[in-house]
Amino acid sequence: MTRKREKRKPPKSISVVERHTDIDEKNEADEEDENVYFNTIEEEDENSASDSELEDDSDGETEKVLEDFVDEVNSEEYSDSDEHNEDDNLESANDNVNKADSVDESESDNELEEDDSYESEEVSSAPESDSDSDQEEKIKGPLKNKQLKQQSVKVNNKLSKLHQNGKNKFQNENKEFPSGKDEYADGDTSDEEDIRNTIGNIPMKWYDEYRHLGYDWDGNKISKPEQTDTIDNFLRKIEDPDFWRTVKDPQTGQEVVLNENDIELIRRIKEQKIPDVSFDDHAPWIEWFTSEVMQMPLRKFPEHKRSFLPSRDEAKKVSKLVHALKMSWIKSEEERRKEKAKKEPQFYMLWQTDDQSEEMRRIHKHIPPPKRPLPGHAESYNPPPEYLFDSRELKQWNKHKETPWKRKLHFVPQKYDSLRKVPAYSRFIKERFLRCMDLYLCPRAIKMRLQVEPDDLVPKLPSPRDLQPFPTLLAIEYKGHTDMIRTITTDKTGQYLASGSDDCTVKVWEINTGRCLKTFKTDAVVRTIEWCPNEKLPLILVASGRKVILINPNVGDFLQNIKADEILKEKPQSEVIVSDRVKTTVRWDDPTEEEYEKGFRIILSHFKEVTQVTWHGKGDYFASVMPDGQNRSVLVSQLSKRRSQLPFAKSKGLIQCVLFHPSRPFLFVATQRHVRIYDLVKQAMVKKLMSNSHWISFMAVHPGGDNLLVATYDRKMLWFDLDLSTKPYQTLRLHGTAVRAVAYHRKYPLFASGSDDGSMIVSHGMVYNDLLKNPLIVPLKRFQDHTTDNDFGIFAVHFHPLQPWVFSAGSDSTIKLYSN
Amino acid sequence: MENIDPSSESQLHIRLITKQEQYAVPDIPYSVPATIDTIGLNTLLNALLKEHSDQHKKQEFDFIVNGELLRVLLVDHLQEYGLSVEDIVTIEYIQRTPPPQPEDALLHDDWISGIQVNGNWILTGCYDNTVNVWSIHGKHQASVSGHTEPVKAVHWLIPEDPSAGFATVSHDLTGVLWHWEPGSKEIHPCIALRGHERPIECLGINTERQRIVTGGWDTHLKVWSSSLEHDTEEPAHKRFKGMSSRVPLFTLLGHKEAITSVQWIDTNEVCTVSMDHTIRLWDMELCGLKNEIMGQKAFLGASWSPLSKSLITCSADTRIRLYDPRSVEGTICKTTFVSHTLWVTAVAWAQHDEHLFMSGGYDESVKLWDTRSPKAPLYELSGHEGKVLCVDWSNPKHLVSGGTDNSVHIFKNKKTT
Repeated sequence: MTRKREKRKPPKSISVVERHTDIDEKNEADEEDENVYFNTIEEEDENSASDSELEDDSDGETEKVLEDFVDEVNSEEYSDSDEHNEDDNLESANDNVNKADSVDESESDNELEEDDSYESEEVSSAPESDSDSDQEEKIKGPLKNKQLKQQSVKVNNKLSKLHQNGKNKFQNENKEFPSGKDEYADGDTSDEEDIRNTIGNIPMKWYDEYRHLGYDWDGNKISKPEQTDTIDNFLRKIEDPDFWRTVKDPQTGQEVVLNENDIELIRRIKEQKIPDVSFDDHAPWIEWFTSEVMQMPLRKFPEHKRSFLPSRDEAKKVSKLVHALKMSWIKSEEERRKEKAKKEPQFYMLWQTDDQSEEMRRIHKHIPPPKRPLPGHAESYNPPPEYLFDSRELKQWNKHKETPWKRKLHFVPQKYDSLRKVPAYSRFIKERFLRCMDLYLCPRAIKMRLQVEPDDLVPKLPSPRDLQPFPTLLAIEYKGHTDMIRTITTDKTGQYLASGSDDCTVKVWEINTGRCLKTFKTDAVVRTIEWCPNEKLPLILVASGRKVILINPNVGDFLQNIKADEILKEKPQSEVIVSDRVKTTVRWDDPTEEEYEKGFRIILSHFKEVTQVTWHGKGDYFASVMPDGQNRSVLVSQLSKRRSQLPFAKSKGLIQCVLFHPSRPFLFVATQRHVRIYDLVKQAMVKKLMSNSHWISFMAVHPGGDNLLVATYDRKMLWFDLDLSTKPYQTLRLHGTAVRAVAYHRKYPLFASGSDDGSMIVSHGMVYNDLLKNPLIVPLKRFQDHTTDNDFGIFAVHFHPLQPWVFSAGSDSTIKLYSN
Repeated sequence: MENIDPSSESQLHIRLITKQEQYAVPDIPYSVPATIDTIGLNTLLNALLKEHSDQHKKQEFDFIVNGELLRVLLVDHLQEYGLSVEDIVTIEYIQRTPPPQPEDALLHDDWISGIQVNGNWILTGCYDNTVNVWSIHGKHQASVSGHTEPVKAVHWLIPEDPSAGFATVSHDLTGVLWHWEPGSKEIHPCIALRGHERPIECLGINTERQRIVTGGWDTHLKVWSSSLEHDTEEPAHKRFKGMSSRVPLFTLLGHKEAITSVQWIDTNEVCTVSMDHTIRLWDMELCGLKNEIMGQKAFLGASWSPLSKSLITCSADTRIRLYDPRSVEGTICKTTFVSHTLWVTAVAWAQHDEHLFMSGGYDESVKLWDTRSPKAPLYELSGHEGKVLCVDWSNPKHLVSGGTDNSVHIFKNKKTT
């Protein structure tokens, strides 16, 4: 519409206006675009037709409308104040319009509050033109004809747009709008006048002080329409039948009479109906997207790109198929049909044997059954006469009745005149059966047998030759004891050896010559002896019966011996009160005069029999074991303070053996099945080693302290790597009988074990400083020199402290030294 | 090399030479069967000698091929040393060392751990703390019990002069210098050597310098003066068991384990062998370590021969080894003698022959060796019924040995040239 109006207008307009029309155009274009979706094509055609009609008519009736319009403008002032009081209907209509508009423009709210004018609200939604300030001075008097015309057209325009704004979301029925004929019938030609808002979308109150309202094309002021007072309004209300539907355009200050359509629209909005009359809210529902599966489903979104591209996977399959067709591996339907047409009779090999058949080839390394020899002349029904048996041959044949495999032929050739006279073969079934049995029982595939040399299973160990030195030669026997020797120990320099025996004596030997230097008689069987590791205290700790005796053997450095005696003579005075528990367990006694002469220095009387004693590495503390002592079975005593303590409150089982860690304050306690490691400083258990055996007999700790060797009565030796695990690093089953003694060498990577069968095994046990490298264990040599007595063999093994030599003591009351 | 069938009658060409001129034969090649042995060669040589002089008495000879005594068939010997049988084999022959004759056995009360002969007197140290002097003819001359622990080694102060006295060391940490007049029954302790911290095991005496060196379980080598005169007049109460005591002149540290034998090499040099597998040479002038030889096994004894300038040692591994401690290149261990079956604890060179020495071991045997025969000893001197702890051959005429059977066995050696 606007576009046409534009054409008609003289090209007088300044650039500002041009721009405005552009905006207008755009707005309209937008509206049209929106309408495209909703309007049917016919509607649009009609619409455009009515537009042109309207344009043509308006030109002719310009002057006629002028007077009316002036009236309208005058009446505006009156309606300003009282309108809403008197006409509820209109008010509410305006209200509704406001509501509809406020969705789009928030500005209108402000205007409503400040201006208090409903009219202004009505048109605020319409597109507004820029104001031309130049025209302010020029227009002051009564409006020119042309101007009035313009204004009325503008108002109409706005109204039409108001309509559209109200219903553009739903639909518009341009068929009835604007109902041009009705308008002209009323004599209202205001829509022809090009009256527009020349001040733009600004609050109207800014013009309150002025008498004009914006400027016209020529820069003259457009004077405000005359303000009507309340009396005028009242008079008009009575006189004017259209007063109720007259509203004031806030933009121009002119009064506008709403037409029927507007009224209807407002009414519908008020009733909260869809403003569009033509909209059928009960129209049948078209299911664009339905749950029903359709043959050709309607989908709004486009297909994905890949659905248009040929699939590579399928292309591969197709190419395979094409290749197969080319190679005539598969046949087309036609070819197949052709083949079917010339169908030949199907044959199968009647005489095919299973060795030729296809499925037999699939058996891996299949052995075909041996072929039966072809029948010869003898088998013929009509053999040549030389094949027939004569009497001698027949006799020979019959002779082998019991041993049929010795016969040359397994049948007697028979001669018949013709084939039909040949009788049925009597052994046919039997022979078939035997043949089947042969085939069934005979292995028909090559059996894969694992060829394992026993040597391959033995782990690769270095040759003992490369692990020298180790003891190889029985060098010296130390004879003198009269009963089995349970324990041996050496002094630190490697000069003396001490042994304790069931004949209740402790003997000190010179290692290099085998000379018995000293003999100490005790009251009971000597179970364990150990030389003090402290060089300044040349004492032997002896466990004999219920007593633990410290003996000064008086060999070696005499000055030191005297000094040690002096130290021991000074009894330390301690204030510490000994608990009853300890008191009842052990009693520190001084030896009698007689005993002192013998070399006894201190005697500890225990409440139960002591089976084992062991020194701590520093030679001040020693531990004694009484397996029958229940929760008092382990006693740790301190020599310098002459004090004992019971480290364990609870009994963990029958204690076999205890050992001090060579460098750390740990105590290894072996019960029958487990080895527990206690931290004596923290008073806590550090580790519990699972021996997985039934009865531990003895144990030895590696001088490094990280490896423990445990001997068991169930013939095993267990090597524990304490850093590795609580389970044995290796279980050595070298002995055939109970292992009673194990020992580590202090310097060389050697360990030895002695068992009840009188054999001692020396092994290489290398512990590497590299933590990642596991210990290397190689059994080196077995010595079987001890004679067994009462099923007891070797009781003790002990290494020479400096040389790679080993001592073994056994039930045959001898000690043997093996040297390299 | 040809593998010759012993049964075949192959012939070898030999040349017989000798350094003993009285037994020289013409230097011409002889053809002998390849399988000839010492007996055959002896017969041949005796026949040759008889041809030359009628007075010749039948003699036993030993034959040296390639520096080693022939003990097997000649062809086998050659094969072992990889010598050609095509060439003429040069055989040197020497008069055979006559077997020592057992002469006497001197019975003691306890084990004998130290022995030395000086002229006609035998000095023995005993495990019953006594020191005994016997005449070579088996007569007990004198006995003294000055030590409180077993005597481990004895040594005459001056060879060939028994009147100069002798020294003994013992497990009681002391050594004692004794004065004894030959023939008298009295032995007087003169000076106690006090300073060792652990039992003393061995001693060596140098007459020229009047020095005694002792070594023991405290790993120290201590050097003392060997003069019998008292150093200073000490008050009587300071005396040790009636003897004036003497402190070491100096102490040499170095060994890590017990020193088992000390030997004077010359006036300035002492050689020690130890359980720590080393042989050390000490300079007595500078009082320091001169050289160190690493061995394989713990050494138990040694003997130095001024004639052959070499040291024989015995170890715990049943072997006897011949060392040249002065050589700096090549293997220091020249020869290994294998025959003993148990530890060898005592060795002694012959004073008259650079090739002969004797050894005693725990296998109850005393053996007479020739250095040119490393695989078998010349003679085994049987008689001991216990471990042999000490041997001595200071007097070329007498081989003596003592052991745990409480007896000293004397063997007479006939050939002393």
